[in-house]
Amino acid sequence: MKKIKFSKTSAEQILELKKHNIRIEGNFLKVIDTSDNEELSNYVNECIEIDTETRKKRLDITRKVQDQNKELIDWKNKNEKAQKDLQLALEEANKAKAAAEKAKNNAEEDLDLLVKKNQNELVNKIVSTSLIVILGVGAITSGLYFYTIVTGNENQIIESSWANMFSILLTNSFSIIGTIMGVKHMQSTNDTTKKKR
Amino acid sequence: MMIDSILLVDDEDLFHLVFEDACSLLDITLSLKAMSSADEAEKYFKNIVDNNLIKPDCIFVDLNIIGSSFDGIELCRRINFVHGDGVVIGIISSSNDETEQAKAMKAGAQFWIIKSDEIEPRLEDFRKDFDGYKDRTAPFKVYK
Repeated sequence: MKKIKFSKTSAEQILELKKHNIRIEGNFLKVIDTSDNEELSNYVNECIEIDTETRKKRLDITRKVQDQNKELIDWKNKNEKAQKDLQLALEEANKAKAAAEKAKNNAEEDLDLLVKKNQNELVNKIVSTSLIVILGVGAITSGLYFYTIVTGNENQIIESSWANMFSILLTNSFSIIGTIMGVKHMQSTNDTTKKKR
Repeated sequence: MMIDSILLVDDEDLFHLVFEDACSLLDITLSLKAMSSADEAEKYFKNIVDNNLIKPDCIFVDLNIIGSSFDGIELCRRINFVHGDGVVIGIISSSNDETEQAKAMKAGAQFWIIKSDEIEPRLEDFRKDFDGYKDRTAPFKVYK
C-alpha cells in the first residue's frame, strides 16, 4: 500500500499532539510517509515503539487469559466428571446397601426358623418325656393298687396314695400343657412384633 | 511482504485479539477483520460478491465455529465453490486431525495452521508461502 505524505501544515498539526503527550496508535502509523520530515519521523518512530510494546503486553495478557480460560474449562470438565462418578458410586453404594439389608433380613428369617425348629423339637421332647413319666407313674401306681385289690392285701395307704398320685399327675399335666401354651403364645407375639418392625 | 487484507472467522473473541496483535507485530497485514460466526462470514462474503466489492486477500477459518450452523470446512467449500474464487483460504485450528485436514483440502483449503501458544512462527512461515498460495502453485501445507 502507498504511504500517506502529509503537507507541512498537517505535519506541524500532528506534531502538536506530541506537545500534549498524545500518541498515534495502530496500523495508521505504518502508512505515514516521514521521509522528508525528521521531527515527524522521530515522533512516528517513538509512537511505533510504544505501540509495539503495548501490543506485546496485550498479547501476553491475552495469552494468560486464554490459558486461564483453558484451565477453567478443563477444571469444569474434570469437576463435572467427578460429580458424575460420585453420583454413580452413590447409586452403587445404595444398591449394595439394599442388597445387604435384604441378605440380613433373609438371614434373620432363617435364624428365626432355626430357633423355632429347635424350640419345637425341645417342646416335643419335654412333652414326650413328661407323658412317659406321667403314664409310667400312673401305670405303676395303678398296677400296684390293682395288685393289692386282687390279692386282698391291705391297700388303704396305696388307695389314698393312688388318688393323691393321680390328682398330682393331673395337676402337673395341666401345668405342662399351660407352660407349652405359654411358650407358643410368646413365640407368636415375638413374630408379630418382628413383622411390624 | 504484507498481505493487503485478512478476514479471520473464529468464535473465540480472545483469539481475535491474539491474532490481531500477532499480525501487527509481524507486519503481516494492515487490514484485519474478525468475525465470530460462519453464517456472518458467508453473508459478508456474499455481499462482497453481489456488490462487486474488494475481496479480502486471505481468509483464516476456525474448524469448529461454535454458534454457527456449519463448520469451518463447509465455509471454505462455500467460499471456494459458491461465492467466488481467487481468495487464499485455510483453516486455523488447535486440532491436528489428518481426516479433517483431508476434508479441508477437498473443500478448497490451501493451508492448515495449528493454533497453539506461539502462533507467530507459524504466521511468519505462512507469510513466506503466501505468494505461492495466491498464484495457486503452493501445495496444501500444515503449519505445526
